[in-house]
Amino acid sequence: MEFSRDESGTVSAMFEPIEVDLLRQVSGQLIRMLQSIDTENPETFTLSNVSRLLPAAYPDDAEASAEFRRFTADGLLEGKIANAGTVLAGLGDEPVPDATLHDPLPVPVVLHPAQVQSWLRTLTDLRLVVADRLQVDPNGVPQLHDEESQVLGDVYDWLGMVQESLVYAIDA
Amino acid sequence: MPKTDERVHLDEAVSLDRPWVTVVWDDPVNLMSYVSYVFRSYFGVPAEEAERLMLQVHNNGRAIVATGNRESMERHVEAMHGYGLWATLDQAEE
Repeated sequence: MEFSRDESGTVSAMFEPIEVDLLRQVSGQLIRMLQSIDTENPETFTLSNVSRLLPAAYPDDAEASAEFRRFTADGLLEGKIANAGTVLAGLGDEPVPDATLHDPLPVPVVLHPAQVQSWLRTLTDLRLVVADRLQVDPNGVPQLHDEESQVLGDVYDWLGMVQESLVYAIDA
Repeated sequence: MPKTDERVHLDEAVSLDRPWVTVVWDDPVNLMSYVSYVFRSYFGVPAEEAERLMLQVHNNGRAIVATGNRESMERHVEAMHGYGLWATLDQAEE
Protein backbone atom coordinates (compact mmCIF):
# COMPACT_ATOMS: atom_id res chain seq x y z
CA MET A 1 0.00 0.00 0.00
CA GLU A 2 1.63 3.23 -1.15
CA PHE A 3 -0.20 6.22 -2.56
CA SER A 4 1.01 8.07 -5.63
CA ARG A 5 -0.48 11.01 -7.51
CA ASP A 6 -1.04 11.47 -11.23
CA GLU A 7 -1.13 14.78 -13.17
CA SER A 8 -4.86 15.25 -12.62
CA GLY A 9 -4.37 15.28 -8.84
CA THR A 10 -5.92 11.86 -8.39
CA VAL A 11 -4.10 9.69 -5.87
CA SER A 12 -4.22 5.94 -5.90
CA ALA A 13 -2.82 2.91 -4.16
CA MET A 14 -3.16 -0.84 -4.24
CA PHE A 15 -4.55 -2.21 -0.99
CA GLU A 16 -4.32 -5.78 0.14
CA PRO A 17 -7.81 -7.25 0.58
CA ILE A 18 -7.13 -7.60 4.29
CA GLU A 19 -6.32 -3.86 4.45
CA VAL A 20 -9.58 -2.95 2.72
CA ASP A 21 -11.43 -5.15 5.14
CA LEU A 22 -9.69 -3.60 8.13
CA LEU A 23 -10.31 -0.01 7.03
CA ARG A 24 -13.97 -0.78 6.35
CA GLN A 25 -14.35 -2.28 9.80
CA VAL A 26 -12.70 0.54 11.74
CA SER A 27 -14.42 3.26 9.68
CA GLY A 28 -17.77 1.64 10.33
CA GLN A 29 -16.98 1.47 14.03
CA LEU A 30 -15.92 5.11 14.01
CA ILE A 31 -19.23 6.15 12.41
CA ARG A 32 -21.21 4.22 15.03
CA MET A 33 -19.12 5.72 17.82
CA LEU A 34 -19.59 9.27 16.45
CA GLN A 35 -23.33 8.71 16.02
CA SER A 36 -23.60 7.56 19.63
CA ILE A 37 -22.18 10.83 20.99
CA ASP A 38 -24.95 12.73 22.76
CA THR A 39 -24.00 16.38 22.45
CA GLU A 40 -26.97 17.43 24.63
CA ASN A 41 -25.39 15.76 27.64
CA PRO A 42 -22.47 17.80 29.07
CA GLU A 43 -21.11 14.62 30.73
CA THR A 44 -20.33 13.31 27.24
CA PHE A 45 -17.42 15.69 26.91
CA THR A 46 -15.71 14.35 30.01
CA LEU A 47 -15.21 10.99 28.24
CA SER A 48 -11.58 10.84 27.17
CA ASN A 49 -12.21 9.75 23.58
CA VAL A 50 -14.87 12.41 23.01
CA SER A 51 -12.84 15.15 24.67
CA ARG A 52 -9.99 14.55 22.24
CA LEU A 53 -12.24 14.56 19.16
CA LEU A 54 -14.04 17.66 20.43
CA PRO A 55 -11.58 19.33 22.82
CA ALA A 56 -12.49 22.19 25.15
CA ALA A 57 -11.94 25.40 23.19
CA TYR A 58 -11.35 27.41 26.37
CA PRO A 59 -9.10 25.33 28.66
CA ASP A 60 -9.73 27.56 31.70
CA ASP A 61 -13.35 28.44 31.07
CA ALA A 62 -15.84 25.59 31.25
CA GLU A 63 -18.78 27.85 30.55
CA ALA A 64 -17.29 29.34 27.40
CA SER A 65 -16.23 25.86 26.26
CA ALA A 66 -19.78 24.59 26.72
CA GLU A 67 -21.11 27.54 24.75
CA PHE A 68 -18.57 26.89 21.98
CA ARG A 69 -19.65 23.26 21.85
CA ARG A 70 -23.29 24.21 21.67
CA PHE A 71 -22.55 25.98 18.42
CA THR A 72 -19.94 23.66 16.93
CA ALA A 73 -20.19 20.07 18.22
CA ASP A 74 -23.09 18.89 16.06
CA GLY A 75 -21.60 20.32 12.89
CA LEU A 76 -18.15 18.91 13.63
CA LEU A 77 -19.61 15.47 14.32
CA GLU A 78 -21.66 15.58 11.12
CA GLY A 79 -18.50 16.43 9.21
CA LYS A 80 -16.55 13.60 10.82
CA ILE A 81 -19.33 11.11 10.09
CA ALA A 82 -19.54 12.30 6.48
CA ASN A 83 -15.75 11.97 6.11
CA ALA A 84 -15.78 8.39 7.37
CA GLY A 85 -18.66 7.71 4.97
CA THR A 86 -16.50 9.03 2.13
CA VAL A 87 -13.74 6.63 3.15
CA LEU A 88 -16.18 3.73 3.10
CA ALA A 89 -17.48 4.80 -0.31
CA GLY A 90 -13.91 5.06 -1.64
CA LEU A 91 -13.32 1.46 -0.64
CA GLY A 92 -16.22 0.37 -2.82
CA ASP A 93 -18.82 -2.19 -1.92
CA GLU A 94 -17.28 -5.17 -3.66
CA PRO A 95 -16.80 -8.04 -1.27
CA VAL A 96 -13.07 -8.35 -0.66
CA PRO A 97 -11.42 -11.51 -1.95
CA ASP A 98 -11.15 -14.13 0.71
CA ALA A 99 -8.00 -13.34 2.64
CA THR A 100 -7.51 -17.02 3.35
CA LEU A 101 -6.93 -17.62 -0.36
CA HIS A 102 -3.36 -17.87 -1.44
CA ASP A 103 -2.18 -14.50 -2.83
CA PRO A 104 -5.53 -12.71 -3.12
CA LEU A 105 -5.39 -9.90 -5.70
CA PRO A 106 -4.75 -6.36 -4.41
CA VAL A 107 -7.65 -3.88 -4.60
CA PRO A 108 -7.13 -0.51 -6.34
CA VAL A 109 -8.16 2.52 -4.26
CA VAL A 110 -8.51 5.71 -6.33
CA LEU A 111 -9.16 9.06 -4.63
CA HIS A 112 -10.06 12.45 -6.09
CA PRO A 113 -8.69 15.56 -4.34
CA ALA A 114 -11.96 16.15 -2.43
CA GLN A 115 -11.95 12.58 -1.14
CA VAL A 116 -8.33 12.90 0.01
CA GLN A 117 -9.40 15.59 2.51
CA SER A 118 -11.93 13.22 4.03
CA TRP A 119 -9.45 10.37 4.15
CA LEU A 120 -6.80 12.44 5.93
CA ARG A 121 -9.31 13.63 8.52
CA THR A 122 -10.82 10.21 9.10
CA LEU A 123 -7.41 8.60 9.48
CA THR A 124 -6.70 11.26 12.12
CA ASP A 125 -9.97 10.65 13.95
CA LEU A 126 -9.35 6.90 13.86
CA ARG A 127 -5.87 7.33 15.28
CA LEU A 128 -7.17 9.62 18.02
CA VAL A 129 -9.78 7.07 19.06
CA VAL A 130 -7.37 4.13 18.92
CA ALA A 131 -4.69 6.12 20.80
CA ASP A 132 -7.21 6.77 23.55
CA ARG A 133 -8.00 3.05 23.79
CA LEU A 134 -4.29 2.21 23.89
CA GLN A 135 -3.71 4.91 26.52
CA VAL A 136 -0.92 6.43 24.45
CA ASP A 137 1.17 8.61 26.77
CA PRO A 138 2.50 12.11 25.92
CA ASN A 139 5.62 10.47 24.46
CA GLY A 140 3.51 8.45 22.07
CA VAL A 141 4.01 5.14 23.90
CA PRO A 142 0.93 2.95 24.53
CA GLN A 143 0.44 2.18 28.22
CA LEU A 144 -2.15 -0.54 27.71
CA HIS A 145 -0.66 -3.99 27.39
CA ASP A 146 -3.09 -6.81 26.89
CA GLU A 147 -3.97 -9.21 24.09
CA GLU A 148 -6.20 -6.74 22.31
CA SER A 149 -3.67 -3.91 22.54
CA GLN A 150 -1.18 -5.87 20.43
CA VAL A 151 -3.57 -5.97 17.49
CA LEU A 152 -4.77 -2.42 18.11
CA GLY A 153 -1.18 -1.22 18.20
CA ASP A 154 -0.59 -2.71 14.76
CA VAL A 155 -3.77 -1.06 13.47
CA TYR A 156 -2.64 2.27 14.96
CA ASP A 157 0.74 2.07 13.24
CA TRP A 158 -0.81 1.00 9.95
CA LEU A 159 -3.29 3.92 10.01
CA GLY A 160 -0.34 6.26 10.54
CA MET A 161 1.48 4.70 7.62
CA VAL A 162 -1.53 5.16 5.31
CA GLN A 163 -1.86 8.78 6.39
CA GLU A 164 1.81 9.56 5.94
CA SER A 165 1.78 7.96 2.50
CA LEU A 166 -1.26 10.06 1.56
CA VAL A 167 0.30 13.32 2.80
CA TYR A 168 3.52 12.61 0.88
CA ALA A 169 1.58 11.69 -2.27
CA ILE A 170 -0.34 14.98 -2.39
CA ASP A 171 2.84 16.93 -1.56
CA ALA A 172 4.82 15.28 -4.31
CA MET B 1 -22.79 58.10 36.17
CA PRO B 2 -21.74 56.00 39.20
CA LYS B 3 -18.12 55.07 39.46
CA THR B 4 -18.65 51.31 39.32
CA ASP B 5 -20.30 51.60 35.92
CA GLU B 6 -17.36 53.51 34.59
CA ARG B 7 -15.06 50.76 35.71
CA VAL B 8 -17.18 48.12 33.99
CA HIS B 9 -17.10 50.10 30.78
CA LEU B 10 -13.39 50.56 31.02
CA ASP B 11 -12.86 46.81 31.53
CA GLU B 12 -14.95 46.01 28.51
CA ALA B 13 -13.06 48.50 26.39
CA VAL B 14 -9.76 46.99 27.49
CA SER B 15 -10.88 43.43 26.82
CA LEU B 16 -12.20 44.41 23.41
CA ASP B 17 -8.81 45.80 22.53
CA ARG B 18 -6.88 42.73 23.56
CA PRO B 19 -6.70 40.35 20.64
CA TRP B 20 -7.40 36.65 20.83
CA VAL B 21 -5.11 33.87 19.67
CA THR B 22 -5.56 30.38 18.26
CA VAL B 23 -3.23 27.94 20.01
CA VAL B 24 -2.36 24.50 18.63
CA TRP B 25 -1.03 22.04 21.21
CA ASP B 26 1.38 19.17 20.77
CA ASP B 27 -0.18 15.73 20.97
CA PRO B 28 1.51 12.38 20.62
CA VAL B 29 -0.92 11.15 17.96
CA ASN B 30 -0.85 13.51 15.03
CA LEU B 31 1.97 13.03 12.57
CA MET B 32 4.31 15.97 12.03
CA SER B 33 3.79 15.74 8.27
CA TYR B 34 0.02 15.99 8.75
CA VAL B 35 0.18 18.97 11.16
CA SER B 36 2.40 20.79 8.69
CA TYR B 37 -0.03 19.93 5.89
CA VAL B 38 -2.97 21.33 7.89
CA PHE B 39 -1.19 24.65 8.46
CA ARG B 40 -0.42 24.91 4.74
CA SER B 41 -3.81 23.93 3.47
CA TYR B 42 -5.97 25.77 6.01
CA PHE B 43 -3.98 28.93 6.75
CA GLY B 44 -2.43 29.00 3.30
CA VAL B 45 1.06 29.66 4.69
CA PRO B 46 4.16 28.73 2.66
CA ALA B 47 5.74 25.33 3.36
CA GLU B 48 8.61 26.85 5.34
CA GLU B 49 6.30 28.76 7.67
CA ALA B 50 4.08 25.69 8.14
CA GLU B 51 7.16 23.67 9.02
CA ARG B 52 8.34 26.32 11.48
CA LEU B 53 4.95 26.40 13.23
CA MET B 54 4.75 22.60 13.31
CA LEU B 55 8.22 22.37 14.89
CA GLN B 56 7.22 25.02 17.42
CA VAL B 57 4.21 22.88 18.38
CA HIS B 58 6.40 19.80 18.55
CA ASN B 59 9.31 21.30 20.48
CA ASN B 60 7.57 23.89 22.70
CA GLY B 61 4.35 21.98 23.25
CA ARG B 62 2.25 24.71 21.65
CA ALA B 63 2.27 27.44 19.04
CA ILE B 64 0.15 30.48 18.34
CA VAL B 65 -1.02 30.00 14.78
CA ALA B 66 -3.36 32.97 14.42
CA THR B 67 -4.23 36.27 16.12
CA GLY B 68 -7.37 38.34 15.74
CA ASN B 69 -10.84 38.93 17.08
CA ARG B 70 -12.62 36.33 19.15
CA GLU B 71 -15.11 35.38 16.47
CA SER B 72 -12.50 34.59 13.85
CA MET B 73 -10.34 32.71 16.36
CA GLU B 74 -13.35 30.57 17.26
CA ARG B 75 -13.74 29.80 13.56
CA HIS B 76 -10.10 28.75 13.36
CA VAL B 77 -10.36 26.56 16.47
CA GLU B 78 -13.46 24.90 15.07
CA ALA B 79 -11.63 24.26 11.79
CA MET B 80 -8.63 22.79 13.65
CA HIS B 81 -10.98 20.45 15.54
CA GLY B 82 -12.37 19.42 12.17
CA TYR B 83 -8.84 18.40 11.18
CA GLY B 84 -8.40 16.57 14.48
CA LEU B 85 -5.80 18.97 15.85
CA TRP B 86 -5.88 19.93 19.52
CA ALA B 87 -6.58 23.66 19.39
CA THR B 88 -7.80 26.21 21.93
CA LEU B 89 -8.32 29.93 22.02
CA ASP B 90 -7.00 32.39 24.50
CA GLN B 91 -6.69 36.09 24.98
CA ALA B 92 -3.29 37.42 23.98
CA GLU B 93 -0.99 38.40 26.84
CA GLU B 94 -0.74 42.11 27.40
